Amino acid sequence: MKQANNKFDLPQGTLDLLIMRVVALGPIHGYAIAQRIQQMSRDALQVQQGSLYPALHRLEYKKLLSSRWKSSETGREAKFYELTASGRARLKAETENWSRLTDVIGLILKGTLEGI
Amino acid sequence: MGWLRRLFTRNRLEADLDKELRFHLESQIADKVRSGVPENEARRLTRLEFGGVEQIKEACREQRGTLLLETALQDLFFGLRQLRRKPGFTIAAVAALALGIGANTAIFSVVNTVLLKPLTYPDPGRIVRFMYTSPQGAIGAASPVDFNIWRAQTSVFEDVAAYDLRGPGFNLTGPVPEQVQGLRASRDYFRLFGAHMLLGHTFTQQEDSPNGGHVVAISYGLWQTRFGGNPKIVGTAISLNNESYTVVGVLGRSFVTDPPANLWVPFQIDPNSTDLGHSFVVAGRLKPGVTLAQADAELKLAADAYRRRYPNAVGPKDGFKVEPLRDSIVSGARKLLLLLLGAVSFVLLIACANVANLLLVRAADRKREFATRAAMGASRVRIMRQLLTESLVLAVSGGVLGLALGFIGVRALLAVSPAVLPRVGVHGAAVGIDWRVLAYTLGVSLITGILFGLFPAIGVSRLNLNTTLKEGGNQSGAGLSQGRVRSMLVVSEVSLALVLLIGATLLIRTYIALRSVNPGFDAHDVLTLEMSLTGARFMKTAGVAQVSRDGRERLNAIPGVEGSAFSCSLPLSVGIGMPFNIVGRPRGKSRWTGDARWMSASPGYFSVFKIPILRGRAFTEQDDGAAPDVVIINEAFAKQYWPKRDPLGQQIQLGHGIGRQIVGIVADVRDEGLNRKPHPLLIVPTAQVPNGLTALIANVLPSFWVVRTHGDPHQYIPAITKQLRLASGGFPVAHVSPMTEIMVLSTARQDFNMLLLTIFGAIALILAAIGIYGLMAYSVAQRTREIGIRLALGADRGRIRNFVVWQGLRLAIVGVVIGIAAAFGLTRFLASFLFGVKTWDPTVFATVPVILSAVALAAVWIPAMRASRLDPQKALRME
Repeated sequence: MKQANNKFDLPQGTLDLLIMRVVALGPIHGYAIAQRIQQMSRDALQVQQGSLYPALHRLEYKKLLSSRWKSSETGREAKFYELTASGRARLKAETENWSRLTDVIGLILKGTLEGI
Repeated sequence: MGWLRRLFTRNRLEADLDKELRFHLESQIADKVRSGVPENEARRLTRLEFGGVEQIKEACREQRGTLLLETALQDLFFGLRQLRRKPGFTIAAVAALALGIGANTAIFSVVNTVLLKPLTYPDPGRIVRFMYTSPQGAIGAASPVDFNIWRAQTSVFEDVAAYDLRGPGFNLTGPVPEQVQGLRASRDYFRLFGAHMLLGHTFTQQEDSPNGGHVVAISYGLWQTRFGGNPKIVGTAISLNNESYTVVGVLGRSFVTDPPANLWVPFQIDPNSTDLGHSFVVAGRLKPGVTLAQADAELKLAADAYRRRYPNAVGPKDGFKVEPLRDSIVSGARKLLLLLLGAVSFVLLIACANVANLLLVRAADRKREFATRAAMGASRVRIMRQLLTESLVLAVSGGVLGLALGFIGVRALLAVSPAVLPRVGVHGAAVGIDWRVLAYTLGVSLITGILFGLFPAIGVSRLNLNTTLKEGGNQSGAGLSQGRVRSMLVVSEVSLALVLLIGATLLIRTYIALRSVNPGFDAHDVLTLEMSLTGARFMKTAGVAQVSRDGRERLNAIPGVEGSAFSCSLPLSVGIGMPFNIVGRPRGKSRWTGDARWMSASPGYFSVFKIPILRGRAFTEQDDGAAPDVVIINEAFAKQYWPKRDPLGQQIQLGHGIGRQIVGIVADVRDEGLNRKPHPLLIVPTAQVPNGLTALIANVLPSFWVVRTHGDPHQYIPAITKQLRLASGGFPVAHVSPMTEIMVLSTARQDFNMLLLTIFGAIALILAAIGIYGLMAYSVAQRTREIGIRLALGADRGRIRNFVVWQGLRLAIVGVVIGIAAAFGLTRFLASFLFGVKTWDPTVFATVPVILSAVALAAVWIPAMRASRLDPQKALRME
């Protein structure tokens, strides 16, 4: 299943971060998470179900997310994910980490470009 | 234990996962419908976008952390179900594996007992045996002179002890005389071998000195059986060889030695002895940190110093060295056991190839199953793991069965065929299962499981989903490359089987050759009995000669006894070396004319064994201590030293003794086993043996009575035993056995060898035949339609049969050719086990391939006939 060219692949590990960011806004089910990521990235990111659900289960297994079943907006039962306390701490740490990393990488890449 | 709970709440988790993904799908479809897409189209699009639901589920499961265990269990149960579904296949595979692993377990348990288990002494790795080296090789025998030198090397050795290798046995005399195994041992013997004293003490320095008195230490077993566990036995006197010995100690129950013994007397070696006769063994312990090489270097210096001081005592090229005690105990058996281990691993390889072939056939039949599972979302790794689990289940089942089979097999084998192996105990009682055997069997099972499981697993990894699913039903068949792997397996089976069969046949020829050897004597209706003539009375020739004469008179008076004799050795085991001089023959610089074997015998010896007198005469009663000294030589002696002249009337000196006239020449007798050429032999009348030799022999070897009887010798045993007890003044006889039994025992190791390799060869032959049959039967079944079409189009049935036969036979022939080449290279490892046949014996190399090919032909004939008799109508109608 090929991805469209104007959409890019997520770097390793960033999906977890994005998911936690979305879940941090309040209890939310898988389908909504996928939609929300797509909206927030202005359609630049499309999360494949093939990676979303394993990631959700992984985060839940690591106790960064918790889940419970409740009625969705359409009235059907859906599995809603919430950030746990340790998930919240992890999100904070990872976000800081990420900003630092992008700053550094940006610096290096900029330098490289200027050097050419 | 979260993962454990998850493992058990699996069903709920699965339902949740399904519900979650379905919610996603439905929501997506609903959104599309809402934005105006027709419902059917929305469903199709969503499914496309969504991808494989099963793959996603599998990926989610993988995150759960229980997956590895869960799939392993799943694989296991699925595998078991699969195996139960095809009992024929399972039984065939497990049986082949059980045979292969069982044979390996059996041989390994012997190897373990003999070669691997440490000796039961404290710090066994440092115990060494002293060896006397000469240009003729190293012997593990020592003289008092050697012992005194070795004991003085205190910088490298401690606890240097002398003891008998076998000894003549001790007579517990009294109302119920009994011969027991006993050893002379110097006082450090007990410390060296870690003896615990239950009562009393071991020998003191005083007791172990010349004229130290008559004392004895006894084993726990003897203390219990003979003395009723008398707690006050220490200090009391017991009667040994009609002399009184004071018991000084009782050994602990666990003290077991090699050679086994029930009592010990102090050796009392004179520290100033000049006795150079090698008649016992010496062992000691390396001091901590001392290596074998350092010890040998020290001994070399000692030998040099000694040679300078006593130029004649140690030969110019003679020396000393040490070797680990375990090596010297097992050295004779090592080569045999390694050979058997090699042979038995061939059997296992063949069994492996067979099972691999079976699995490949099954994998081919299951191709659609695998393809379907792959399409449903199973990864290749998962399917390979499934296959490997199945083969491991097979291997472990085979292993468990093989362990039982091997254990029973080895006991049965050692009971039927006493291999005369060291350390295995009576009938192999010491051979058991310990952690080494278990680990070996488990290891072998796992390795074989992986080995034969890999073939089909690799095949599956190359599976092409689309073509496999499109192919119809049973016709999916084995691909070309898989066919090649299977042919290769069959070829290697045949070649391995051929190597084993050639080895087995060479040993069978050896067996036959050994039985057709003329031993030079007639063993039928001859009874042999041992007697230990020890004690002061028998340190002089006169005492022995008197018992010999009295005994023979009594024996010859028993009705049914046709003749009797007394001697110091029996045919097949004449082993006392003796340097000699021929009187009047110049010998240049050397001290002796030569070295020969030597024995003593009473009158009647040659007639009891029906050994022909070639020239001159046999011994008579007149050849007694007062008569002129005489000697009889054997043919080998005459040929070597008088190739052109008549030796009769010539004179020979034994050692430094007086000249003896040669009065007779007797035919050669096999003196060191049936497979060895007879050595030159000197035979001296019992009554004319020098006193020194009589004393030496009495302390080292038992004496023998041999009796020729009318008919089965067993019936005469009570009468003979009684008369000999009367003649000897109350001594018991021991090791009573017909000479025919001794002959059988003398080839026991070769027989064991032959029996085992023949069993292995037969298993290999059967497995290889099954392998070829299986391959051809499968290939015929695969091509039923093709053959049907050919037949329908008018193909000749004979040609179809020949085609199938040729297909199978071609593989067999390739295997045979490779096998012949391999056998040429490998049979040289058999060389030392063969007799009367060359390692490249043309008859064997010609007939065995023919036999194997004939078996292969028979194996392919059945499927070939089936192919040629196919009913084209039915064949075509088959799915």
